[in-house]
Amino acid sequence: CSDILDETPRATFTPEYFKTQEGAEGGLTYLYSNLRYMFGNGYFLNAYETGTDEYTYGFSADEQFKAMDFSGAGVLTSANSNTSITWEYAFKSINTANGIIQYGTDAGVSDALIAEAKFFRAFNYFLLVQTFGGVPLDLGSGELAFNTSPSRTSVRNTVAEVYTTAIFPDLLDAIDNLPDEGRATGTATTTLARLFLAKAYLTYAWWLENPNNIATYPVVDSRTDPDGQSASWYFQEAYNVAVTAIDNPGPFSLQTSFYQVHVGSNDRHSEMLLYADHTEDSEYYDGSSHSYNSGSAPGNFAAWFPNWNYSGNLTSYTSSGSALISTQREEAQPYGRPWSRMSTPIGVFEETFADKTYDSRYDGTFNTVFRGNWQKNSSYSGSDYDVLYNANDLPVVMGDPVLTFLGEDSSDITYPSSSSDDKSGMGAGTLPGRADWVVGPSAISRFAWPTLWKLGPYVSTHEQDGGLGSPNSGITRPFPIAKLSELYLVAAEAAVKGASGTYSAVDLVNVLRARAGVWTYSNSDASDVSVDYSSEMIANTPSSITIDYILAERSREFFGEGYRWLDLVRTQKWGELAGEFDICSDASKENAHVHDRETYSRTISEQDYLRPIPSSQIDGLEMSDTEKEAYQNPGY
Amino acid sequence: TASSFSQQAKFNLQLKNTTIKDVLDELKSQSDYQFFYSNDDFDVSRRVDVDLNNASIENVLEQILGDMDVSYKIVDKSVIISKSDVVWSFDQQQQQIVSVSGTVSDATGQPLPGVTVVEKGTTNGTITDFDGNYILKNISGASTLIFSFVGMENIEMPLDGRSQIDVVMQEQTIGLEEVVAIGYGVQRKEEVTGSVSSVDAEQMKEIPAANVSQALQGRVSGVQMTQTSSKPGASMQIRIRGTRSLNASNDPLIVLDGIPFAGSINDISPSDIKTLEILKDASATAIYGSRGANGVIIITTNKGKMGQKATVTYDSYVGLKTLFSKYPMMGSSDFIKLREYAGLYSNGSDESDDVSTDWQDLLFKNSMVTSHDVGVSGGTETGNYSFGIGYYKDEALVPEQNYTRFSIRSSLDQRIGDHVKVGFSTNSNYSITNGSDFSLYNTLATTPITDPYNEDGSLKTRVNVAGIDDMYSYTREGIKSLGDAWVNKSLAFGSYNTIYGELAIPGVEGLKYRLNIGLNFRTTNDGDYTGEGVFNSSESAASVATIGNSLTTNWAVENLVTYDRVFNNKHNFNFVGLYSAEQTHYHSSVVSATGIPSDQFQFYNLGQATDEITIDPDQQGYYEAGLKSLMARAMYSYNGKYMLSLAVRSDWSSRLSPSNNNHTYPAVSAGWNIGEENFMGNLKAVDRLKLRVGYGQTSNQSVDPYSTLGLLSSSPYNYGSQYVTGYYVSELANDNLGWEYSETYNVGLDFGLANSRITGTMEYYIQKTKDILFDVSLPSTSGVESYTANIGRSQNKGFELSLNGVIMEDHNGWTWDAGINIYANRNKLTGLASGVERDESNWWFVGHPIDVVYDYKKIGIWNEGDANMSVLEPNGQAGDIKVEYTGDYNEDGTPTRQINTDDRQIIDLEPTFQGGFSTRVAYKNVDLSVVGDFKSGGKLISTLYSSNGYLNMLTGRRNNVDVDYWTESNTDAKYPKPGGTLAGDNPKYGSTLGYFDASYLKVRTITLGYNFSRDGWLKDAGINKLRLYFTVQNPFVLFSPYNKESGGDPETNSYGDENQAVSTSYAKRLLVIGTNSPSTRNFLFGINLTF
Repeated sequence: CSDILDETPRATFTPEYFKTQEGAEGGLTYLYSNLRYMFGNGYFLNAYETGTDEYTYGFSADEQFKAMDFSGAGVLTSANSNTSITWEYAFKSINTANGIIQYGTDAGVSDALIAEAKFFRAFNYFLLVQTFGGVPLDLGSGELAFNTSPSRTSVRNTVAEVYTTAIFPDLLDAIDNLPDEGRATGTATTTLARLFLAKAYLTYAWWLENPNNIATYPVVDSRTDPDGQSASWYFQEAYNVAVTAIDNPGPFSLQTSFYQVHVGSNDRHSEMLLYADHTEDSEYYDGSSHSYNSGSAPGNFAAWFPNWNYSGNLTSYTSSGSALISTQREEAQPYGRPWSRMSTPIGVFEETFADKTYDSRYDGTFNTVFRGNWQKNSSYSGSDYDVLYNANDLPVVMGDPVLTFLGEDSSDITYPSSSSDDKSGMGAGTLPGRADWVVGPSAISRFAWPTLWKLGPYVSTHEQDGGLGSPNSGITRPFPIAKLSELYLVAAEAAVKGASGTYSAVDLVNVLRARAGVWTYSNSDASDVSVDYSSEMIANTPSSITIDYILAERSREFFGEGYRWLDLVRTQKWGELAGEFDICSDASKENAHVHDRETYSRTISEQDYLRPIPSSQIDGLEMSDTEKEAYQNPGY
Repeated sequence: TASSFSQQAKFNLQLKNTTIKDVLDELKSQSDYQFFYSNDDFDVSRRVDVDLNNASIENVLEQILGDMDVSYKIVDKSVIISKSDVVWSFDQQQQQIVSVSGTVSDATGQPLPGVTVVEKGTTNGTITDFDGNYILKNISGASTLIFSFVGMENIEMPLDGRSQIDVVMQEQTIGLEEVVAIGYGVQRKEEVTGSVSSVDAEQMKEIPAANVSQALQGRVSGVQMTQTSSKPGASMQIRIRGTRSLNASNDPLIVLDGIPFAGSINDISPSDIKTLEILKDASATAIYGSRGANGVIIITTNKGKMGQKATVTYDSYVGLKTLFSKYPMMGSSDFIKLREYAGLYSNGSDESDDVSTDWQDLLFKNSMVTSHDVGVSGGTETGNYSFGIGYYKDEALVPEQNYTRFSIRSSLDQRIGDHVKVGFSTNSNYSITNGSDFSLYNTLATTPITDPYNEDGSLKTRVNVAGIDDMYSYTREGIKSLGDAWVNKSLAFGSYNTIYGELAIPGVEGLKYRLNIGLNFRTTNDGDYTGEGVFNSSESAASVATIGNSLTTNWAVENLVTYDRVFNNKHNFNFVGLYSAEQTHYHSSVVSATGIPSDQFQFYNLGQATDEITIDPDQQGYYEAGLKSLMARAMYSYNGKYMLSLAVRSDWSSRLSPSNNNHTYPAVSAGWNIGEENFMGNLKAVDRLKLRVGYGQTSNQSVDPYSTLGLLSSSPYNYGSQYVTGYYVSELANDNLGWEYSETYNVGLDFGLANSRITGTMEYYIQKTKDILFDVSLPSTSGVESYTANIGRSQNKGFELSLNGVIMEDHNGWTWDAGINIYANRNKLTGLASGVERDESNWWFVGHPIDVVYDYKKIGIWNEGDANMSVLEPNGQAGDIKVEYTGDYNEDGTPTRQINTDDRQIIDLEPTFQGGFSTRVAYKNVDLSVVGDFKSGGKLISTLYSSNGYLNMLTGRRNNVDVDYWTESNTDAKYPKPGGTLAGDNPKYGSTLGYFDASYLKVRTITLGYNFSRDGWLKDAGINKLRLYFTVQNPFVLFSPYNKESGGDPETNSYGDENQAVSTSYAKRLLVIGTNSPSTRNFLFGINLTF
């Protein structure tokens, strides 16, 4: 009876499944679901935001955040760098794409589907090469081949090899074969591939130019292109590809207002080219519990991290004088779960978003007004709680502002003088006649700062429910990865670097600035508005656009979405633009009333422009110590 | 009369060149004479000629015995031939013919039917009837009666003129004649050559235990039982002579009634066990081949005896379980001080400094444990039977957490004719486990200044702690009031059946064929329901229900040929040949649903769910795995002095790659009973001495089925509202996956001293494992997480000593026995993947044990002015944990760098030695037993104290374990400064706070029993045995640094990835003390009754 020795798995697939059409399509689906482990993962967001001019570590930050900040509170190492997430997940995606590309044609998979795999292979290599420098093209079974042989050695290719062997050919092929309109909601399109090719060309052009003479790794003798092209040629190509996409956007278009780009009810709109999708209708397909997520991917929890703990101590009083938390933790876009890990330096409010009047992007990025929602908690539903007493002992009812981060400082604000005087519970001040507690921009601290509204949670049924929802749930919104709007800023950046064509840098920048002047809703007033400040916005655009201006526009457009570190590293402006920042440093709730603005400086050396290869990779290699040392980026 | 017949018999014999033996056989065939002689007395193969007609028996004997120095006597029909110098008692005394009668019973007073009673030196005999009575007539008044019965010690009783003789027979106890199960047969203990430990099931039974693993704890040297959970119904992890495999199973094989056991060890009720043997070395386990690589536990359940009158036994106990100790959390005043000193958090809306709540008091409550077993056994002339039922219920101190087991078993052996024997045994049980998902974390973490009550006196459902954490409030009353809103139930039914048929091949003495068929079945059915908001910080969290079930079926067929024969009284030969095949089938499914419309549905109709119904492909299971084997074993012993055993086995496994799925391995062992040698004769002190040596190979194939094929994992996704499932390669295929195998060398010495008042065994072994089956994690750049391969080598070396002593043997009514065992195992990884010395991701390091911790080593707390602090910890402050620096130093003595991950060290968890002890003192009817165990050295991981537990954050955010922390005025504290440098939510290097010296000495049970005398009312009531006892389980712990610090039980209660806030730091194999159900101290009252 030798048949008892035969094996037939009936509940699992073996890698052989990839040689069938269904298997290849299953692999393709994985390329999308794999995005969730990075995009929407708060630690991944930390890796690409903390330490820039957009974010520093917050009140509840631990070593992972302090190390990323470079401001002396921690040291970034191969063990604590959250860029290990990129390293861990990008190669899984690359190998899966290798399998689809290798077996797909024989299995009868269409060129369009194979082109999706090529897009993702390029997408992941592009993210890797920007984060770590050169990375291996051979995973064990040969260059760009599906890995079937367990290998515990690895050799890193150079940056130029990764771009010219993998990223560019794959994206060119993807542009040729991808459909204009995605085969399913949120899948890859020609326009998406064009954006990434333009961005890859742009990034590679900067790398070739290397204006600040920052070292690359693995070391190359000189930064020459294997295809013999110059930096300016690539800047021009970046411009050309981007403009082609702008002129031929397929079904994509810009939203009317910036608010519409990020309001949860409008997700998956025409401006979005790529996102890590989520759903509120299925915990299983969403990859997260909808009652409690412990802060782990594939759930989307990134927006918890740049969220101050508004629900911790923000206090109002009942008529009998007992304190209660008037802005409760709520599963709604202005609020969400506060993990208080990443806080926003004062410069963001004073410089980046200096224009809060015409430019709707300040209002469409942050929530600055915290409103009473206590009666959504069933404990406070009784009529005893209809009116609370807040700043200046003035009454507030449900929906009234309880605390406001003001756009401008004012000498009229009275901040509490001591902990016992701190009636708001979080150091906020009062303005005569106003019932809400107030905080001026220069009083923003690691303890309290405006929350990142654009990424906050949204559940379609929440308004009807009347309760607080499940704020500890994974966020069920798609996490944005690429938008049509970026094409304008990529082309504009290339133009600043000398590329020319139909549109000037000013033309391109103004498309987005004009759109930013259109207000359809005001978050701070919590009401619809209809104002168009496009002409004022255009009038305020400088006539000569610099890289710094492009970077500031990028921050206004994509603030907090995980672009910033890559932008500063690409343009080699990290040290210059983020080397110093101001914030009030409240070490604890006990001294929340102290608003001592401090200037912190960051020590950013040229080696920091490449993140460490994760220690798990080094540990797992079967190589000599010398080889392992050579595998690691310098300085780690 | 018979006598006259014999004298009248006349023989005609014409035989040439015929052996004396054949002549006697011929005489026997022509008459009723029986011949008694010993081969030692004369040469029966001597050839003679006989030519006699019409000769008397005396004539024949004269002719054939001739000149040899022998004489003969004829008594009735018996002819006794012996050396001439034998003096026959019946020659000297006048033969007074009498008759004698009496009753034979066993030690419990049970009458023994079927006992052979023979007048010594004659064939005159009878057997006892069903009431144990006998009458023997026509015997000499000066003779002696011999009483014999299988399994009992023979009794010789001189008549001394009596006509009534009652005897009580004793079971054969530990001694030379003890028979032990060695797998596919039994062997006299004195002839055993492998390393086999027997456990006295009778003694084991005197002390109540929930399951076999608990009953064995501390009993056998080299067998380590470790608690993996303190929940009711949990069994222990068993390791025989250490750990050898990295990913393949390290669990021993359990053989129940001859067939490999396919269930959970919990499915066997300890009171059903008749005998229990543990095979430890490869020369003993090799016959079980790959399944025996980690040792074998052979369990035989109770059976009836042939000819035994029906006997009923009833064993029962009830007990009160009390808290061994509370988890060492801070009280309110200590906590207020901590929060204030840390200065990071202020009171949340439910907290107040004038509140003092003991959350553990609000949750824990004394509980009960109950056990009942009833058994009936008996026999007929040609068969025996037994059956029994059992009930066991164990409740935890936390609400709604309990385990109930119902069991039923029966067995039958029946002879059919002279050559055929058939039988079966069946064990079935049904168990219910409730509330095993109950979490203790909130109870320990909620601050003592949190008020659990609303103003109106009702209980709060959630409380806000530190203004940050909304925590569900766990109280006994609150949980009881959940009613239908929470259920966590796991049902299991298992049925384990063995059927056999045995044929004694006619015409070939000692040759038998046996067919064993094992048919096993186990199914589990789990259901969970958690109502809306229950146990959740959010009151609107959706209700969730999950059902899961699994089915395991297993069959095994064994064809056995055995040949067992003694030649010339000296050459003992035994051969076993086996061909076997077995296959296990398993499948399981899990379905969950959210939005159950009403609590009353619980998990009983997921179809009613209003939200989502999920069938996660990664949670559905299926496998079939098969094993084929050929085995042969030959054992030979000469005169009980020299023993040799040879075995060879070949296994084919479906789990390995077709090209490498077969392995053949030999085993050989030899023994020398030095004590039997003449030269030992004058060493009076030593009455038993046996040397054993063994070598054997075994192998292991117990990786997950389909490991050779590679694996895709699924990854769900949604394209907008379209739901899709993605796949990626998580494991690569390995076409070369083959056997992991171990070689063991074993040397053992068994001894008995001072008339076997002291007996003992010493053993030394070396075991080397090669080609370890290993789930190799690949570097991320492979794009694949892992693959299964044969990588690495490990080694176990160890020494074992067990001693048993009879300190007093019925001395003025006092009996005192004591036993102790001590063992030490040294485990070491001797190789990993080629050229790799360290696998830091798995914490495996060549030259170190498999189970180690890789972490920083805490050497104290930083104080102001400590040297090098600014170099080693540039961002540090006084009061932080100081860890050891392992780097280089500059010429000026300062370290060259700050502390980094290179300073992590390998911390060995293995104890220096461990063991167990037991003692029993009896005075007349009263006996007192104490059983305990101990461990010296090694490390214990307590996640209560380390950062993983989130209970020693020292920030004041949640309640904290009560520790002596650093302050400016308490600078030599063991624990760091509250609110000092943090990594995450915990003190930097907080994981180092969880390591303790693992030493302890633990008294496990103290039992005081009373055996009622079998006379008076007991006898009138038909009761043969009545014992009452009182037991304290887990009374106290000594010499435990962990106990000293925490007051807690130093036994692990969780796997490394359980019962802690962050469960990803430790591999499952590293057992820890976490937030599991609290350890208990139990007070039991029990009864054993036989009638």
